[in-house]
Amino acid sequence: MNIFLREIKATRKSLLIWIVVMGLLILIAASKFSAFAGDPEMLKILDSIPPAMLEVMNANAFNLTTIIGFYGLMFLYFGLMGAIAAAMWGSDSISKEERDKTVEFSLVLPVSRSRVVTAKLLAALVNCLVFVLVTWGMAIVSVQNYQPDQDFYAFLRLEMLAMFLIELIFLAIGLLLSCGLKNHKIVSSMAVGIILVTYFFSIIVKMNKDFAFLKNFSPFYYYDAGEMYRNGHLNGMYVGFSVAIVMVCVIAAYWMYNKRDLYTP
Amino acid sequence: MNRMIFKHELQTRIRSILTWGLSITALVFVLFTYFSVFAKEAELMQALLAKFPKELLIAFGMEHINYSTPLGYLAFFFLFIQLCLAIQACNFGVGLVSIEETELTADFLLTKPVSRMEILSSKVGAALASLVLTDAIVWVSVFFALTIYGEGKPYDPRTLVLLLASLLFMQFFFFGVGLMISLLVKRVRSVTPYSLALAFGAYVLNAFSGVFGDVKLEYITPFKHFEPGYIVDHAAYNTPLLVFNVTITLLSLAASYWLYLHRDISAVS
Repeated sequence: MNIFLREIKATRKSLLIWIVVMGLLILIAASKFSAFAGDPEMLKILDSIPPAMLEVMNANAFNLTTIIGFYGLMFLYFGLMGAIAAAMWGSDSISKEERDKTVEFSLVLPVSRSRVVTAKLLAALVNCLVFVLVTWGMAIVSVQNYQPDQDFYAFLRLEMLAMFLIELIFLAIGLLLSCGLKNHKIVSSMAVGIILVTYFFSIIVKMNKDFAFLKNFSPFYYYDAGEMYRNGHLNGMYVGFSVAIVMVCVIAAYWMYNKRDLYTP
Repeated sequence: MNRMIFKHELQTRIRSILTWGLSITALVFVLFTYFSVFAKEAELMQALLAKFPKELLIAFGMEHINYSTPLGYLAFFFLFIQLCLAIQACNFGVGLVSIEETELTADFLLTKPVSRMEILSSKVGAALASLVLTDAIVWVSVFFALTIYGEGKPYDPRTLVLLLASLLFMQFFFFGVGLMISLLVKRVRSVTPYSLALAFGAYVLNAFSGVFGDVKLEYITPFKHFEPGYIVDHAAYNTPLLVFNVTITLLSLAASYWLYLHRDISAVS
């Protein structure tokens, strides 16, 4: 419990920074949206576009003059920010002890290594949860002027659930990196590499059909906002896939951290 | 400028220069191999686009970009190159002097018979040189990719130079701001979270920049200062934003000097 509280305190500032960045994004988006919300002219123009065109613009299935449409467009960025924050919390939690040369101290405490990992994992999990909840709250506040209906709340709930799942995947990957790799310097560069590559995949998947197979490697693409809106639920296969990734990474992380030698410069 | 420090700093950055430079090279080449396929589709799309009302294209930020030309295609994924280089520049900026404190080598460095001014100048010089080297790799690879896969389609060399040179301004901006932030906080424990928050934060704030008109808040992000679509379309920078960008860079560097000269460096205890 002490380790858990200590972790929560140590990561408070980083959580705050991410919340501020998210707040700025929602603020910008909301002021953009206010410019054309419910504008019938805009709607007429949008209606005249053939569906194939919308596909290219990644605006399929959305009427962008409604808040649902607009928040559908924003989902990718929610996911991206959640993923980076979670990957940082996961990868920093274990490796920071070795970087700050406090690892001997924490490991001579009368707790097993698994207990240490559990406490740190839980603290990171709480951060992820708080991040999603605050984002959710800010999103709701930002649309109050537009009389959100039941559909919007249901859609936003799905979006936030999907964001949380993306966070979990990257948290688990980050944890695995920091538990498994001995050199803490490599851990953070690998985390950056993984985020950039998976995000990049999610962009080029849309470019060309030849790249469609990359979809499976990019968690950002597991949950498509348009699909969520149409079906009213998350893609079951990818939920299973996500859970599997998280399980495998977390189990491997515990196993490796219990066996690994500590970093000595 | 102290030669020893400069050389040491440059040496520690070689791996980063090569990693970023070569990954971006790979990215550029992979994407340019698809240029011919994409250009054909884009020509069809362009014909389709011509039928749409101008307001719509503006609303979606699509009035500038024509994917069927080599530069239009480059502009299309240029943002990604910018993002990668921004992360690198942030890493250099945030880590420049904070690393001495995290690795407990600050005492060692500061007891040398060189002034803080000289230390910081040599470090900044070496970091800027590394950024330029990375950019040079990117410039060369973009140029070759254009020549090999551009299908001989004509492009304006001046615009290409402007586009590629904008990478430098962008990197210097992130370097300066990162350095200042690292000196404003009491202690930087790890560089990566700071640089990712800074680079991706700026990137995400720019996300809707093309869509639906202007929001003043967007002008704080350097991705907006050097929008590839704007540069390709106008064959020039957006001058007020360029001035703003350079001013912020210079101010943050000046502030960094002041902060570093007055900093209470935490010693090994």
